[in-house]
Amino acid sequence: MSTYAQQTAENVTLPSSLDEAVAALAAMPSAVPVAGGTDLMASVNAGLLRPAALVGLGRIAEIRGWQYADGAALLGAGLTHARMGRPDFAALIPALAAAARSAGPPQIRNAGTLGGNIVSAAPTGDSLPVLAALEASVVLAGPEADREIPVSHLLTGMDPLRPGELLAFVRIPLLHAPQTFLKATGRTGPGRAVASVALVVDPARRQVRCAVGAVAQVPLRPLEAEQWVAGLIDWDGERTLAPEACTAFGEYVAAACIPDQPGVELPPAAVQLRRTVAALSRRALGRALA
Amino acid sequence: MSVIDGSAPAAGTLAGDTPHGIGTSVPSTDALAKTQGTYPYAADLWAEGLLWAAVLRSPHPHARILRIDTADAAAMPGVRAVVTHEDVPGDAMHGRRVADRPVFAHDIVRHHGEPIAAVAADHPDTARLAAAAILVEYEVLEPVTDPEKAFAAEPLHPDGNLIRHIPLRFGDPEAVGEVIVEGLYRVGRQDPAPIGAEAGLAVPRPDGGVELYVASTDPHADRDIAAACFGLEADHVKVVVTGVPGAMGDREDSGVQLPLGLLALKTGCPVKFVATREESFLGHAHRHPTLLRYRHHADAEGRLVKVEAQILLDAGAYADASSDALAAAVAFAAGPYVVPHVFVEGWAVRTNNPPSGHVRGEGALQVCTAYEGQMDKLAAKLGLEPAEIRMRNVLSTGDLLPTGQTVTCPAPVGELLKAVRDADLPPLPDGDDESQWLLPGGTSGAGEPGAVRRGVGYALGMVHVLGAEGTDEVSTATVRVHDGRATVICAAVETGQGFTTLARQIVQEVLGVEDVRVLAPDTDQPPAGPSARGRHTWVSGGAVERAAKMVRTQVLQPLAAKFGMSVELLSIADGKITSYDGVLSTTVAETLDGKELWATAQCRPHPTDRLDDTGQGDAFVGLAFCAIRAVVDVDIELGAVRVVELAVAQDVGRILNPRQLAARIEAGVTQGLGLALMEDLRAPRGVVKRPSLTGYALPTALDAPDVRIVKLVEERDVVAPFGAKAVSAVPVVTSPAAIASAVRAATGRPVSRLPIRPQAAIVKPQA
Repeated sequence: MSTYAQQTAENVTLPSSLDEAVAALAAMPSAVPVAGGTDLMASVNAGLLRPAALVGLGRIAEIRGWQYADGAALLGAGLTHARMGRPDFAALIPALAAAARSAGPPQIRNAGTLGGNIVSAAPTGDSLPVLAALEASVVLAGPEADREIPVSHLLTGMDPLRPGELLAFVRIPLLHAPQTFLKATGRTGPGRAVASVALVVDPARRQVRCAVGAVAQVPLRPLEAEQWVAGLIDWDGERTLAPEACTAFGEYVAAACIPDQPGVELPPAAVQLRRTVAALSRRALGRALA
Repeated sequence: MSVIDGSAPAAGTLAGDTPHGIGTSVPSTDALAKTQGTYPYAADLWAEGLLWAAVLRSPHPHARILRIDTADAAAMPGVRAVVTHEDVPGDAMHGRRVADRPVFAHDIVRHHGEPIAAVAADHPDTARLAAAAILVEYEVLEPVTDPEKAFAAEPLHPDGNLIRHIPLRFGDPEAVGEVIVEGLYRVGRQDPAPIGAEAGLAVPRPDGGVELYVASTDPHADRDIAAACFGLEADHVKVVVTGVPGAMGDREDSGVQLPLGLLALKTGCPVKFVATREESFLGHAHRHPTLLRYRHHADAEGRLVKVEAQILLDAGAYADASSDALAAAVAFAAGPYVVPHVFVEGWAVRTNNPPSGHVRGEGALQVCTAYEGQMDKLAAKLGLEPAEIRMRNVLSTGDLLPTGQTVTCPAPVGELLKAVRDADLPPLPDGDDESQWLLPGGTSGAGEPGAVRRGVGYALGMVHVLGAEGTDEVSTATVRVHDGRATVICAAVETGQGFTTLARQIVQEVLGVEDVRVLAPDTDQPPAGPSARGRHTWVSGGAVERAAKMVRTQVLQPLAAKFGMSVELLSIADGKITSYDGVLSTTVAETLDGKELWATAQCRPHPTDRLDDTGQGDAFVGLAFCAIRAVVDVDIELGAVRVVELAVAQDVGRILNPRQLAARIEAGVTQGLGLALMEDLRAPRGVVKRPSLTGYALPTALDAPDVRIVKLVEERDVVAPFGAKAVSAVPVVTSPAAIASAVRAATGRPVSRLPIRPQAAIVKPQA
């Protein structure tokens, strides 16, 4: 008598290639793609979301690894956080590996994917500030043609996913220089970021790029602070900075990300957040130039 | 992660490796099934043709209900019944201690999540949709969410806003100390957060009665409440206890059990309900958020002269166990210290905040945080070591509590404190290899060794054992021996505290029978009372022991008579009966000769008094004590705290099962750590925020410290069966205060609020 067994099992497709997945989405526009399901299935279980159909991306082998292309790494969107956290990946893109290792408990890291982190675009998504600092771009597979856009365009909604499109790859330049990711959660165990800072040094372009996560809807880039600190660095020499410069950089980043409201005193919570961002940015820069 | 360097556990009385009897680590029979995921919990229940229930809960903390229209919901296909306050055939009001809570709200809603109606349908989604389709017209009222304003506010309930007031007067009000310190402390709202959410199955009976299969921790009380609500005789309602997925106090949410039974009676079908995590957070009772104002007087040597305190418990909308929590808070307001003059005003008030109730260590935990904060302040003011000032004031057997009760049980408080003070400190991490460091802030790498300060803090805690103030704490147990096997029938619920293991150990010890089964409890058995405050170790364990001894006498009496010796000269071990001189040797099975022996016994501790109108009276049967030394690392720039180690010394009376005891202490201190650092169910303006396990952070393995049990004092409490004391609550009570004390030591900040927020642990750079 119960209808509980009749879950929407027949409405789940499990394509084994990107082309099949795109075709499956085109055939059923109301279907929702699902990778690790760590966000999506929680909403389904809570009854907040009732997708008419699901397209499972877990069997598409081509997006679960990575390859090299012209000095960049082309990461499959189906890479799990657990995989990104392993030492071989950490040697390639250390900040992304650090972010992946800090994301949730092991069960979540084993299932949650890079692509899922980008598409769900939670403000606290741990990989997002790293991708912003690295100026990564995303390859979107669609019914007509693939296209590639900067990750920030996707995150800010400037150039959103079009109907029928799937996030297939993430292109990340390989910098061969120090990069750091630091996250404050207020606890020792896994937790959502109160604030996080990704900082990468790009010696080829003589840049320091920094992005602050979790303090706004999307990762914030303090461009002026980046330029200021890049100007202080002796790129042909030791590439070190005095501690005072790191402190000043931290304050600069924090003030840029949590700006003063004209005529209004900052609420205590914002002062506290600014202090946290300043400490994280100072530490991140100090470690990258150590 | 625990190290026991106390006394070695007593060796088993049996040859071989299997632990056996009292004092050994007999493993729990559930452990394997729970680890493998095959242990059946309430959410796993199934009956042929069952319906699914959903409960409609109030989105407002305070509102007047103008109209409830269930027509749309009832007309939905698949919906079988909708019940509201109009469908309650019996008593409309219920409550564990005071019947002040409606089954379904009908005129006034008093807290966010209060049940208003329930639906049974053939699919859980249909039931939820139908519940959402019930039309309720509210007139939203201003919620009273500040307990300090509850005194002057319009009554939220016909019973008034003041649930209980205890003014405790002990000693001379004019006494003044040479040194005075004052403090204001706040403790947040901890949720018991049982890992298994509330669930149950109600099955109607052909005789017009109903059976409730629920994870109750007090089946008989739940049965009586349910029968009164259904308008049935108690023997027409049966509560069957299913696997309990975690209980930190009363695991009662009548908001689930009563609608289930009503729906089953109305539809004539089995009805199942599984709460969502959100409903679980909204429905069950929380720890009382508390505001405490203290003034401690001491002489120049640091001896306490007088303690003055005002304690305000936020009870939420209904009385529940607030009266008991307040009694404990007031009685233990000065802690396990000798204080000649104590003056306490304690209030429990009604607000529109989420409901508060019995969560282990209630009352005692909140005051421990405050009096230990005061001891740290006194130490700082007098220039004494924090451990030293505590040592100068410790309570011992024969001293008076501020309630006028003499401490007659063992109270080795000084010995406990000495044990944690003298234990080796954990080594500092090796400075050269940063990868060895687990810094505050965890594995995300944000911690920086240069910004980390280490602090050491102390706390002494106390709780009462068993219900207080005249509660009739009785339990009944039956032991049956047949065919070489013993069976225990006792309605004491195994909540994970280890009662079934203990019952097996007792019977093994007394009867020498290896194979002991403990039947699952239900209300056809005689009542054993709630699983709380170490009751079952004491009263149910005591009842099992007595019943087992009666059976033993029945076994041995004929033999003793036959051989002309007294029963005391015979012993039973490993199924064999031997006489003191070894002449007689036979087996239990042979003696029984196929007979079945039964015995039933009760255990009832000595009676207690209610605290009078000056807070005086012998209110407690027994007391248990604990000392904890916390070592913390604090990132003073980010305010992140990591508890490195908690060293625990505890007064246990007697170790009944060393492994189980260690597990209880580890679990207890970790629950306390959760309250100290992260657990706080936020409800601004009475509306619960983020009721999920993502929004409400619980300690994980990375947050949990090394728990080092440095000493277990086995001084038997002569009035307790086996001399054993309750062990689970007192570590929960003590660890938050110890952690706060250590954060004070590390940062020099006056940590006065739990949980400790990062901004309270940040040290501003010297400008």
